[in-house]
Amino acid sequence: MSREKLKSLGLKLPLFPTTSVGSFPKPDYLAKARREFSKGKITADQLHELERKATKFWIQTQEKLGVDVLVDGEMYRGDMVAYFAERLPGFTEGGLVRSYGNRYYHKPIITGEVEWSGPVTVDWWKYAQSLTKKPVKGMLTGAYTIMDWSFNEHYADRRATAIALAGVIHKEVEALIAAGCKIIQIDEPALSVRPEELPVAIEAMDATTKGLEAYFITHACYGAFEQIYPGMLELAVDNFDLEMSNNDLGLLDVFRRQPFTKDISFGVVDVHTHAMEAQDVVRQRVEQALTILSKDQIWVDPDCGLKTRTVDEAIEKLRLCVAAAEAFRN
Amino acid sequence: MSDAAPGLYLSSTGSYPRIGDSPELQVLRKTIASLDRGERTTADLLDAEHEMTRRAIADQMKAGLDVITDGLVRWYDPISHLAGKLENVKIRGLLRFFDTNCYFRQPVLTGKPVRRGPLVVNEYSFARNALGHLPTPKTKAGKLSIKPVLTGPYTLAKFSQTEYSGNGVPETFASLEARAMAYAEALAAEISALSEYGAELIQVDEPAAVKFPEDWAIFENSLAQLIKARDNAREAGRKIEIALYFYFHDCTPLYEKLVELPADLIGLDCTYNPKLADLIASAGSPKPLGLGLVDARNTRLEDPEVLAWQIERMLSKIDGGRAHLGPSSGLEYLPRDRAFAKLELLGKVREALLGPKGSVK
Repeated sequence: MSREKLKSLGLKLPLFPTTSVGSFPKPDYLAKARREFSKGKITADQLHELERKATKFWIQTQEKLGVDVLVDGEMYRGDMVAYFAERLPGFTEGGLVRSYGNRYYHKPIITGEVEWSGPVTVDWWKYAQSLTKKPVKGMLTGAYTIMDWSFNEHYADRRATAIALAGVIHKEVEALIAAGCKIIQIDEPALSVRPEELPVAIEAMDATTKGLEAYFITHACYGAFEQIYPGMLELAVDNFDLEMSNNDLGLLDVFRRQPFTKDISFGVVDVHTHAMEAQDVVRQRVEQALTILSKDQIWVDPDCGLKTRTVDEAIEKLRLCVAAAEAFRN
Repeated sequence: MSDAAPGLYLSSTGSYPRIGDSPELQVLRKTIASLDRGERTTADLLDAEHEMTRRAIADQMKAGLDVITDGLVRWYDPISHLAGKLENVKIRGLLRFFDTNCYFRQPVLTGKPVRRGPLVVNEYSFARNALGHLPTPKTKAGKLSIKPVLTGPYTLAKFSQTEYSGNGVPETFASLEARAMAYAEALAAEISALSEYGAELIQVDEPAAVKFPEDWAIFENSLAQLIKARDNAREAGRKIEIALYFYFHDCTPLYEKLVELPADLIGLDCTYNPKLADLIASAGSPKPLGLGLVDARNTRLEDPEVLAWQIERMLSKIDGGRAHLGPSSGLEYLPRDRAFAKLELLGKVREALLGPKGSVK
């Protein structure tokens, strides 16, 4: 429970703070601009302007909805690993590999020593924060996940790769903090992929956040958390952002057996369905959370990034989160 | 396939990338996308699948492989491609496939999964025909073979669910064992059909068996039906072997049990634990092995001299001195250029081991 830490950072958040996981859908004009940019029909500056416009839209939307801790919506990103790989020396773009069905992506290859040659996300964070007085999260992908989702031709093994990447992400965290960022989310969706490697993920996160003053959140999803719990609580973060609704709150049974000792960003809406949850259903999910967790521990948000929803669906899902949190505050 | 003579065979372990970076290698992706938009027909899709299958086979031949697959080019994923062709199976949402960053569609059983038609027989027939139409090097004439691949019943069952009727009556296929046995029945029929069509070596993938050893008895029971189908084919005078492949997990803890399974060849992913090669070299194997020494999940190319040294240590301890050297799993997890480089590496390993003329150094 990190209320004291939040306070020490000068952050005054209500009970059941609301937030979102990171990504929002790109408005049609931006999706079209990205396609045109890839075909060389518009310039990088033209694309950048539209990314800023879309970021502003999402900051204003979150403010209107009453979200407490905002995100920039990742209007400038495609893939969460490739975005960093394209900006860090040591990576080479790999050929196409299949994700599923007829979907493919360029999987990065680590071909040399990974380095931090300057801030990757800080300008976007500064821009988003300049648009609001509410705190905006810094958004990073964790070292373990970047390692797991890249090929490695340079380092001796997976651990060495993850630790080297942790050093790089550590510098990005430092840069975000220097810019004034107080809440930093370090996504680790690969966290439970190889349960036997949990110690590597813990070591990498420790190297990423060690000695740095911020409120740290990690997001993980679609994993076999029962296989890495409670060991995963050793990750050096204050808050776990977890998809809870997609598995019908099944993780609460796991927490019942062994107490959950950190803050949690509790996913109360499923992001992989067009259907909207009834307000009562979302409230019941928070009620269920309160049977195991204290009110000081719980943040309220969607299960995962909302980028696969339409703009209208994403807004409605966020509205449901905010309404549920407000109901419990009152 | 040549007779089970002692020797090292270069073998595919299943899938091959169905896309590359050049336009001609994107024909399948573009056709599927056009089909989804209603701009192409299923006949166009079949043409594109044929084209990429021929290319996959040609790459394997060019790299010098002895045992070739169709690259599983037509497979949506290793689970739904087979389960989706069975009666009483619906295909639903995406789940991660082991520790890969690839996803499969989960089958949901509404009743007993029943085989009403071929699963991969037609694909096998096409591949065999395609192989026959490609120019074969003189040294390989009559020695190349197509190996059909099936995902095993236990792995299919482990990643399937049962749809509940909601009337409180326990579902017959709610248990993992019931699902595995039903899938085994369907796959046994497919093995019989493949044998009738001339398949002499059939690869059955059971990666879940090493990942979830607590279900070993269920896995073994389901395997028995496949072995019976093989034995029946042999009694009918046909030549047939079953190769069981295990990957995506450390095979070392189960090694002794794996090599005692009633299959004809046991394929092992040797990349998860470097001690597995030591174990094989010291304990030996009572049956031929598939040696997955070439990492199918990473682009880094192994040193052929090092692999040759490892194989030399193992080969003399393997029954009959027969082994299939191949990638640790299917190659669809790599970009196409790197996948081909891995295949070429297999030839370099054999050359390092046997010398250019093929005699053991």
